[in-house]
Amino acid sequence: MGSSARAVVVTGCGVLAPLGVGVPVFWEALVAGRSAVAPIARFPAHDLAPRNACEVQAALPPDPDRAGAFALRAADEALADAGLAAPCRTRTGVVLGTTLGGMEIFERWDAARAAGAAAPPDVDRIPYFAPAVRLARTLGCRGPVATTQLACASGTHAVALAADWVRRGEADVVLAGGTDLLCRFVVTGFNALRATAERARPFDRDRRGLVLGEGAAVVVVEAAAHAAARGARVRARLLGAGAAGDAVHMTAPDREGGGAARAIAAALAEAGVPPAAVGFVSAHGTGTVYNDAMEAAALARVFGARRVPVNSIKGAIGHTLGAAGAFEVVACVQTLATGVIPPTAGLAHLDPACEALDVVAGEARRVPVAVTVSTSSGFAGTNAALVLGAP
Amino acid sequence: MTLAITGAGRVVPPAGAAPAWPQGVATVPEPVRARAARAERTTQLVLPAAAAALGAAGLLATQGAPRPRMGLVLGTAFGCFLTNAAYARRLVAAGPAAASPRLFAATVSNAAAGELAIAYRLGGPSITVSAGGASGLVALAHAADVLAAGRADAVLAGGTDAAGEPLAAWLADADLAADARHAEAAAVVVLEPLDAAAARRATVLGTLEGTGVGFEPAPRDAGAGEGLAAAVARACAAAGIAARDAALVVAAAPPPLAPLERRVLGDAVRTLRPKEALGETFGAAGVLGLLAALDALAAGARALVLDVCPSGHVAAAVVGAGARP
Repeated sequence: MGSSARAVVVTGCGVLAPLGVGVPVFWEALVAGRSAVAPIARFPAHDLAPRNACEVQAALPPDPDRAGAFALRAADEALADAGLAAPCRTRTGVVLGTTLGGMEIFERWDAARAAGAAAPPDVDRIPYFAPAVRLARTLGCRGPVATTQLACASGTHAVALAADWVRRGEADVVLAGGTDLLCRFVVTGFNALRATAERARPFDRDRRGLVLGEGAAVVVVEAAAHAAARGARVRARLLGAGAAGDAVHMTAPDREGGGAARAIAAALAEAGVPPAAVGFVSAHGTGTVYNDAMEAAALARVFGARRVPVNSIKGAIGHTLGAAGAFEVVACVQTLATGVIPPTAGLAHLDPACEALDVVAGEARRVPVAVTVSTSSGFAGTNAALVLGAP
Repeated sequence: MTLAITGAGRVVPPAGAAPAWPQGVATVPEPVRARAARAERTTQLVLPAAAAALGAAGLLATQGAPRPRMGLVLGTAFGCFLTNAAYARRLVAAGPAAASPRLFAATVSNAAAGELAIAYRLGGPSITVSAGGASGLVALAHAADVLAAGRADAVLAGGTDAAGEPLAAWLADADLAADARHAEAAAVVVLEPLDAAAARRATVLGTLEGTGVGFEPAPRDAGAGEGLAAAVARACAAAGIAARDAALVVAAAPPPLAPLERRVLGDAVRTLRPKEALGETFGAAGVLGLLAALDALAAGARALVLDVCPSGHVAAAVVGAGARP
């Protein structure tokens, strides 16, 4: 991407996070090491175990389409941040990742059917592509619109797909990110897989599992020339993207980190950036035993003996699934801008198996960073990585 | 960047037929049959289609290390909808204690991509996209991105969607069936750079010469057409042709959206409507349309293939005739 004649940049960011609404609040909480993990309060959880999660606490207008509403709110902030009050409708696209879409609406629709009642009014907002369609309709987009389906790597690849569209000339501006919501469907599923815990402790020797989260993160991906022509402030450059399938197992990660390493290496190669130039890695870091060990192996494959600074924001906001990679992109943009790497909330004792990693913990680290990597992995053995550079 | 289509496979169960599984097991390579038999429906549809495509391209493997330069881009409108429904109903009926980890693990729309990667040793990019009825052509367009960026040497690309209840009932309630007969199918092709195909003397079944992706916020409105027109223009510009130069147009709009398509295309010289026979297959539709065009094109001719969905997703592709197998 970086060497292309049509370079691609990020010009705006927006989040609706468990830690608060808006990038400044989100970032301040991340840097302070705060965690949003708390007992589930929005829906019945008495029969769930574990029953902690990271819920969006902000009072939002009632909206049956929670994932879509999250995305709209994050997109509003991203557009304002980019100074794009009215993006050109024919040259603007949308790509969002999600793993749940309108699942709560599905449950209401199915219950209504069983009872012989009328379908709920938002019945068309059930499928995975619904949040992207809602945002695209709101903006009046005529450019490309799609939904990435890479499970927990969906948000990461949404930004990569947006960059590809911009580079190919499909659009000048693409709203890219991810959105997901908490509901009984997803909490019971991860609990049944025994992948969850009451506390998220990424890379900790005592980690027991992930804590689920919800929210949306959206960035404005834009052709560098388009941004320059309108005098926009460039937040970061999108230098490279990579993706790879493990081809090993449907739910367990490749113990050797093969797929994740291939995705990271491919993104670096596309960026034309040697591993030695990477100043910070925003890891997937779910806090499950196998993911974090896999990631340590993958990063060792790519970075060798060099201990590159790493963190995971999942101890702070939980695993937001289809939005997770998009939140990481926003965090990377902030690190590039501020030279601050937030600590990994929940990490007290680094797992000896992860000792090859320089995991930032305890308090934020101040260090100038010119290039960051964000990496995500998901069910079905999918992996995606992005390389971002300072403006 | 013009790409070679060096393999193709489609699974199109006859209208009204009972699910073709487990009979379909016989059409996948033996080492994959056990996985196929227990997989969810979209995976069962696409596994034999992919075996045919990879086999035709001379790139089929079921053993050995994952091949890092072999990529995969699948499109699906509804992906795991049926699995989600089964999981959710069981949860509602019997509570969290009855939640099925096996079912939940398949409640991701990239389940089919994951199974394909494992079955056929694809270790490159593994990507699934959803864009309603335009998912198949959006997947082909993104596969072209993957190849143009050099992230893979060859990409298995296409789409799949399953049919059945409660998906059919939901399509009716959401008004997405749009008067069309809903059918399940899978269709995939193998794409690779022309020079790479020539270097390994692969048979070129056709060429993918340009793609465009767009959106129609209100596709049934009388003024709609701007998004589709822009997508067609981008596909044609990439192919270096004018839309009127296409020898053939593969139309895709369901009846309520036919005016939209007519406004964009005008009076096309020759139009194929494969959905009249195949039904609305959503994620598979665009690639089935592309393959119908390749079947019908004369040597040296090009076709304009469309995907149009009531969701608003639209896409276009320009394909060229290849060698007759």
